[in-house]
Amino acid sequence: MSNAPIEARGLVRSFGDVKAVEGVDLTVAEGEVFGFLGPNGAGKSTTVRMLVTLLRPTAGTARVAGFDVVRDAHQVRRAIGVALQDAAIDPLMTGNELVRLQAVLHGIPRRVAEARGAELLERVGLTGAADRRVGTYSGGMRRRLDLALALVHEPKVLFLDEPTTGLDPTSRVSLWEEVRRLNTELGTTVFLTTQYLEEADELAHRIAIIDGGRIVREGIPAELKASVGAPTLKVDVALASVDAARSVLAQFGAERPARAGRIAIGLPEGAAQMPAVVRALDDAGVRVSHLELDSPSLDDVFADATGRRLEGADE
Amino acid sequence: MTESPLTTGQRVSSIAHDFGVFRALTARGMMRMRRIPALIIPAIMMPMFFVIAFSGSFSALANVEGFPTPRVINWMVPYAILQGASFAGMGAAGGTATDIEGGFFDRLLLAPCRRPILMVGPLGYSALRSLIPTTLVLLLSLALGADLPGGALGLLCLYVAAVGVALLFGTLGLAFVYKFRSLKSLSIVQIFIFGFMFLSIGQVPLALQSGWLQHAARLNPMTNILRLSRQGFLGHVTWHGTWPGLVAIAGLVLGFGAVAYRNLRRIVP
Amino acid sequence: MTATVVEASPCRAGAIAQAYELARRSTVNMWRQPQAWAPGLFFPLMLTAVYAAQFAKAIHQPGFPPVDSYLDFVLPASVLQAVAFGATGGAAELAKDIENGFFDRLVTSPVSRVSILVGRIAGSAIFAGFQAGLIMVLLIAFGVTIKGGVASAAVIMITAVLLALGIGGLGLVLALRSGSQEIVQSTFPVLFVLLFVSGTFWPTSLMKGWYGNVARHNPITWIIEPLRELVIEGWSWGSAGRALGITFGLAVFTTSLAFATMRARLRRL
Repeated sequence: MSNAPIEARGLVRSFGDVKAVEGVDLTVAEGEVFGFLGPNGAGKSTTVRMLVTLLRPTAGTARVAGFDVVRDAHQVRRAIGVALQDAAIDPLMTGNELVRLQAVLHGIPRRVAEARGAELLERVGLTGAADRRVGTYSGGMRRRLDLALALVHEPKVLFLDEPTTGLDPTSRVSLWEEVRRLNTELGTTVFLTTQYLEEADELAHRIAIIDGGRIVREGIPAELKASVGAPTLKVDVALASVDAARSVLAQFGAERPARAGRIAIGLPEGAAQMPAVVRALDDAGVRVSHLELDSPSLDDVFADATGRRLEGADE
Repeated sequence: MTESPLTTGQRVSSIAHDFGVFRALTARGMMRMRRIPALIIPAIMMPMFFVIAFSGSFSALANVEGFPTPRVINWMVPYAILQGASFAGMGAAGGTATDIEGGFFDRLLLAPCRRPILMVGPLGYSALRSLIPTTLVLLLSLALGADLPGGALGLLCLYVAAVGVALLFGTLGLAFVYKFRSLKSLSIVQIFIFGFMFLSIGQVPLALQSGWLQHAARLNPMTNILRLSRQGFLGHVTWHGTWPGLVAIAGLVLGFGAVAYRNLRRIVP
Repeated sequence: MTATVVEASPCRAGAIAQAYELARRSTVNMWRQPQAWAPGLFFPLMLTAVYAAQFAKAIHQPGFPPVDSYLDFVLPASVLQAVAFGATGGAAELAKDIENGFFDRLVTSPVSRVSILVGRIAGSAIFAGFQAGLIMVLLIAFGVTIKGGVASAAVIMITAVLLALGIGGLGLVLALRSGSQEIVQSTFPVLFVLLFVSGTFWPTSLMKGWYGNVARHNPITWIIEPLRELVIEGWSWGSAGRALGITFGLAVFTTSLAFATMRARLRRL
């Protein structure tokens, strides 16, 4: 067995006849931010719930922080921090009360808890709201409080289940910054599930894409994107010079489908070839009105793996 | 990897941890109740009404030969109190169901404490809050002319029975809530409460009942618990009137508790 | 298509046809949802069964009317209790229509406004008659004799229908004023108290003190007692007239109030 903070082998969970997770293998290295990407209902949350000891696996094993999630669930719970989807927070309690309860739940002595709680609330910018009932908080404040709660016992491994779903763009960016800071300053390993490509791209060192209960791709985002193929060069020209442009561009790469008045090709070496392309078009007297080079996105990776676009993905 | 100071040394001992969680869960229940009084008001109003209505409507029971007390209210007080305690006792299950539906229960499940504590904590809340209707109904009844010839020992029996009933319907409620994971499933527990209470010696002693009801009431463990709670209102407290009630409480709490715990562990390792 | 015709010439026959259609709809809806009406039959019957067994001996005391069994005594009470359980169903449905906006669609359509209300409570009233019939048949099977014969049984049934209209009308007023199902349903504890602090389960002549006074002045007692005379003593125009008169008056009063409230609500629109 390796010492990886998260390691799952053949993890399966069925609910009645429905198999929500059908044999997930994954390994997360220490100090890594791992992005678990997939559409709604792909099995992300079910996998996370098994990893954090909230759900018994139907088959397979998983070790978190070196402990088996079923046999040593107790030890796993001590080592992990969890912020679940929809920020499970009692609206009747105040921020301070929740921090205190969380400290008791994790067996932290009161003396330590006071200082640590204040520091965490400060860190997520909730000191001013600490004595207000959570029912009055905005969505962003709830998520930040939930994150602070997950950190009360200084976990080695942090699980964030869709931490920014439903948040406005500003709150989303501030949460990303906080997660990045935790990872770089404290070296916390982060397991992050998300349905947002951008989020995985922005935060994760490594990602796995899950669809229909199975992992369909796994790797470093840049490599995954590179594996999909060459970037696409799109050139808009006047209708009269379409044929001229097409013959020039054909020298650089295979043509790809595009709308009328636009020619698209795969450019195997990407930006490095751009000067040559521009010169060749100029030499041929083609007047270019618009020119763009699109790198493959994680959505292309997802589409490549599943034949579908990810819901809510940016076009 | 540098060990976190908390995961290595700065934690409380395991017993102190479990006790802390128990106390925090009980306190959280009481805090929620203070902030939403509607959670307890029905459990207070209902038994108060029962004391008045039962002893008023059936005051003539005292004329019937074999009725054990001339004061019908003395007979009805413990019955009304146990009804109040049973509804107050469902608080553990109601709170847990709300937590499950809202997702907060996951936070509790993630606590590295022993699993039974997650059950026992809310039950502490059930037991504690059952003291509220018990005390208020008792005071009202004394004002309306009830008396307690059994004295302090009789009073103790009443409170033990009330807390016991709160615990047993609390655990029954938890068994349902862990299984069905919804607040709605508690309406089934209400039917159980009606059954246990109705088919017993709640309003009329066994000797005055007839046929099927008498058989059912004799077999119903609630009959023993009612005897336990009632003896101080009818006369002196005896061991003979006490132990069957205690056994009934212990047996039902342990039985329901085992089912509840099994249902809890079915989901979570 | 028919709706356009009615709009062009709003005639009485159209309103009656619409009321019939809406009443049929609400009756069919009710029939299809046993969870809505089954408890209203089950609980009164269970209470009747338990009370009959527990008071089997207590009825043999001076002052208790001469009956063979408590069932004879309690028959009208069982009927009225079942009616009270179901009578606000139609009003709750109306509140639901208001909550989900169906009501607004209905009032802006050419359907006559009278028929909207009639349609809603007619279902409850018809069901009340059915409940009364079923309970009487069941209790007769268990040995009850209605001394006043078929005429008395008919009076009990009509009283049940009128009482359902009376309570249902009050429910409609609340529904139209509040537009909230919860408020309509919150009348249930009030009905329960009214039912209990009366001669429903025990003769008021045997109730002592202030409680007996309150019970004797409770309108429910005024309805129950004449009905009971029809069952255990025999036919009397006086008893029939009293029960029917009071419930008829109540029904006319609350339904007119409901129509007035409806007009006021529509004026606000």
